[in-house]
Amino acid sequence: MAHIVTSVLENRPVAQDYYELRMAWPSWAPAPQPGQFLTLRTVDGPVPLLRRPFAFSGFDRADSAASIIYQRRGHATTLMTAKRPFDPFDILAPLGNGFPDPKSGRRPILIAGGIGMGPMLFLAERLAQTPYPGILIIGARSAQYLPRVVLSRSVQTILCTDDGSAGRKGTAVDIAREEIRQEGCAPELYLCGPHGMLAAGHALAEELDAPSWVAMEQTMGCAVGACMGCVVRVHGGEEYARVCMEGPVFDSRTIIWT
Amino acid sequence: MDLSVRIGSGTLPNPVGVASGTFGYGSEYEKLIDLSIIGALYTKAVTPEPRPGNATPRIIETAAGMLNSIGLANNGLAGFKTAKIPYLRTLPCPAVVNVAGSKGDDYAKVIEELAGEDCIWGWEVNLSCPNVKTGGLALGTDPTEVEQLTSRLRKLSSKPLIIKLTPNVTDITAIARAAESGGADAVSCINTLVGMVIDTKALRPVLPGKTGGLSGPAILPVGLAAVYRVARAVTIPVVGLGGITEADHAIQYLLAGAHAIQIGTANFIDPTVHQKVLDGIQAFAVLHNLQSIPDFHQFIE
Repeated sequence: MAHIVTSVLENRPVAQDYYELRMAWPSWAPAPQPGQFLTLRTVDGPVPLLRRPFAFSGFDRADSAASIIYQRRGHATTLMTAKRPFDPFDILAPLGNGFPDPKSGRRPILIAGGIGMGPMLFLAERLAQTPYPGILIIGARSAQYLPRVVLSRSVQTILCTDDGSAGRKGTAVDIAREEIRQEGCAPELYLCGPHGMLAAGHALAEELDAPSWVAMEQTMGCAVGACMGCVVRVHGGEEYARVCMEGPVFDSRTIIWT
Repeated sequence: MDLSVRIGSGTLPNPVGVASGTFGYGSEYEKLIDLSIIGALYTKAVTPEPRPGNATPRIIETAAGMLNSIGLANNGLAGFKTAKIPYLRTLPCPAVVNVAGSKGDDYAKVIEELAGEDCIWGWEVNLSCPNVKTGGLALGTDPTEVEQLTSRLRKLSSKPLIIKLTPNVTDITAIARAAESGGADAVSCINTLVGMVIDTKALRPVLPGKTGGLSGPAILPVGLAAVYRVARAVTIPVVGLGGITEADHAIQYLLAGAHAIQIGTANFIDPTVHQKVLDGIQAFAVLHNLQSIPDFHQFIE
């Protein structure tokens, strides 16, 4: 974890309301892993006040660059769309724990919904360079929300939409279930997306008796473990776990989904 | 120039502290901040029993502020002793343990059991948490109760005893005077203001507990006015906090009558804020030829 004041390299739309922001990555800074995140200041002033968390969507040491994908939703993210190359970029990173490697013999199935695409693209790219590449399944409401320009040729990718306007019709979890059945593989699930999708992914993992990893979201204060704000309910001794420290990646069996 | 701050039997190296609940126990920030320049580290609240904290969401941003309802989540006294005390022994700055509970016995138990720990510089008694159902805020709004509890805690430890005041009262000076009468070495103010946000789509409050504590730049003028009034009502030092995000804000608190300040919410936003505030106070002192903290109090009647 470090406080890094770097520069924006590029900030471009990649789908309707979705943007990819690339930033310079100083050589001294620790390398971000898939699943890890940063927090950034959108402005110096008091509105918006808090740093905003975003998962890394890519990192390339050779290019000295890291990236995030964000969705324009409110005041802070609208301000982010105005960032230009060489604008200063104040971040805390890398934060939290990344996704673990798949267990031996398991086929990684990466399931992304909406804004959850960022960390899944990063993980898919990473796994593509290993002997255990995964299948990346990206679900969106409809065609215009699919980030076609950032997809990698080296990753086996399946696109799907809720309304069938592009790719296969159905939810990413449903498509994952079909793919796993068709391949007859022993899967290991990796998920990032809306809470309902993560819960459905966990149910699928239970059904298949497969390991599964979810990247959780929660409103954050400090993002370094101090404020106890960003908790989720978990099984076990402690009632809550901090998304910023114990997460954001959790074994889906540790989460209380109700 | 001497920026040290005397409170009761102790001395802080400088007036810039970090507020309880925003800095954990220090270890969370050691990779980002040089802890040796911190004037006082006010720990996350310690209660006798572990508290899991409140339901989520616990935080919501508001205009130039944030509303929190953490609910004093902490590992309890036993957990504090085993997991946090060894770290506090290595801390390069004074540690003030923030003590919380739901009744007088709770506060007494924490101080009694920790009184012998050399690594603890002093106590900040949280009589004003708005996010627990009993105690806390209720205890801190009645001058008679505040005086009695302060007096009881005073007998348990000779370390500096600071009573943290809530702004959620009609007259904060009455509570401050009660703390002074009970033997407090200082008061700190303000704790968060009770606030609420309603989700008009979901038709319910955003926080499960309905209300929370408002902090951040939005409350700076409120904290400042409270410190101004309290500093004129008591003779013990006042520790000012509420909305400080830059040196100018801290200087305003010192000019209003504070002997020390705490940075809270701004710790979440700018890891360099502590250094900037301390540097700014020093520069201001040089500019106006101030030799010590009480010299800041000469300008405003």
